[in-house]
Amino acid sequence: MDAVFLAIESSALSTWLRESPSLWVFPFALILHTWGLAFLVGANVVIDARILGLIPGVPLRSLERYFLVVWVGFWVNLASGLALLVAYPTKALTNPLFYAKLALVAVGFVTALVIRRRMRALPPEHDGPPPAALVRLAGLSLAAWAVAIPAGRFLAYTCTRLMVDSPC
Amino acid sequence: MLNETLHALEHWLYYTPVGELMRDARWAWPICESLHFLGMSVLVGVVGLFDLRLLGFARAVPIAAFHRLIPLGVSGFVLNAVTGFCFLAGTPDQYLFNLAFRFKVAFFAVAGLNVLAFYSTTFHRLLARAADAAPPLGARIAGSVSLCAWIGVMAAGRLLTFFRP
Repeated sequence: MDAVFLAIESSALSTWLRESPSLWVFPFALILHTWGLAFLVGANVVIDARILGLIPGVPLRSLERYFLVVWVGFWVNLASGLALLVAYPTKALTNPLFYAKLALVAVGFVTALVIRRRMRALPPEHDGPPPAALVRLAGLSLAAWAVAIPAGRFLAYTCTRLMVDSPC
Repeated sequence: MLNETLHALEHWLYYTPVGELMRDARWAWPICESLHFLGMSVLVGVVGLFDLRLLGFARAVPIAAFHRLIPLGVSGFVLNAVTGFCFLAGTPDQYLFNLAFRFKVAFFAVAGLNVLAFYSTTFHRLLARAADAAPPLGARIAGSVSLCAWIGVMAAGRLLTFFRP
C-alpha cells in the first residue's frame, strides 16, 4: 500500500493541500468539515428529538425539509473529508479507527435515509406518537453519531504514521 | 494593563486542578474534544435550525412548538462552556494570546447580544402571529445574525491551532 500512499502524497494536489500557507486551503477544509458535521449531526439530532417525543407540537411530516440540511452537511463533509484524505492518506488509511469512523458515519447516514422514507409513508396530518420502528431508528441514529464524532476526534491521537516516511 | 490581567488569569487557570488534570491525564484532551464536538452539534442543530426557521426555511414547522427544543440547544452550550474551560485551563497561554480565540470570543458576544435583543423585542410578537405567517423583519435579522455568529464561532475555533502564539 505504501506505493499508493506515496503516489498520492507526491501528487501536486496533495502537496498543495498540505503545504499551501493560505488559510483558505488546509485550514478551510477543516472548517468546512466542522460546519458540515454540525449541520449534518445537528439536523439529525433535531429530527431524532422530535421522534423521541421532545417537541410533540411539531408535526412529524413538517421535519422533512430538515433532511435537506442533512443532505448538504453530508456532501460538504464527503468533499472536505476527501480533501483531508488526499492531503494525508497514510495518516488515515493506516489507522483502523478511520475505518470504524467511516462505518459509523455510513450507519448514521443510511439510518437518516430510512427515517426519511418511513416518515414520508406517514399520512400528512399524522400527529399521534410515531411508530415504534421509527423510535428505534431515532435511537440508532443518535447512538451512531454519538460514537462517530469521538471516533473522528481520536484519529489525531491514535495515528501511527503521518506520511509514508514520517511517524505521527 | 490588559496584558497584566491576562497574565494573572493565565497563571490562575494553569494551576487550577482542572488545568493539571488536562495536562496529566492521557486521554483527557481528546475526551473533552469529543464532548465539545458533540455539544457543538446539539447547539448548532437546535439553534441553527431555529435560525433557519426564523428566516422562513421549513415554514410548516410551528415556531412556538419548535422553540421548546431550545433548552436542548442550551444544554449543548453548557457542555461546551464546561469543556471549553477545561481546554483554557489546560494550556491558557494558547488561548488568551491567540488572535483566533479573540475572534471566537467576539462572535460569542455577537450571539449573546443577539439573544438579548431577540427575546426582548421580536420573540413575543412572533409568537402572537399565525404559525405559518411569513417571519417579520426583526426575526429575519435575529436569525441571520445568530446563524452568522455561530458559523463564525466554529470557524474561529477550528483556526485556533493555526494562530498559536
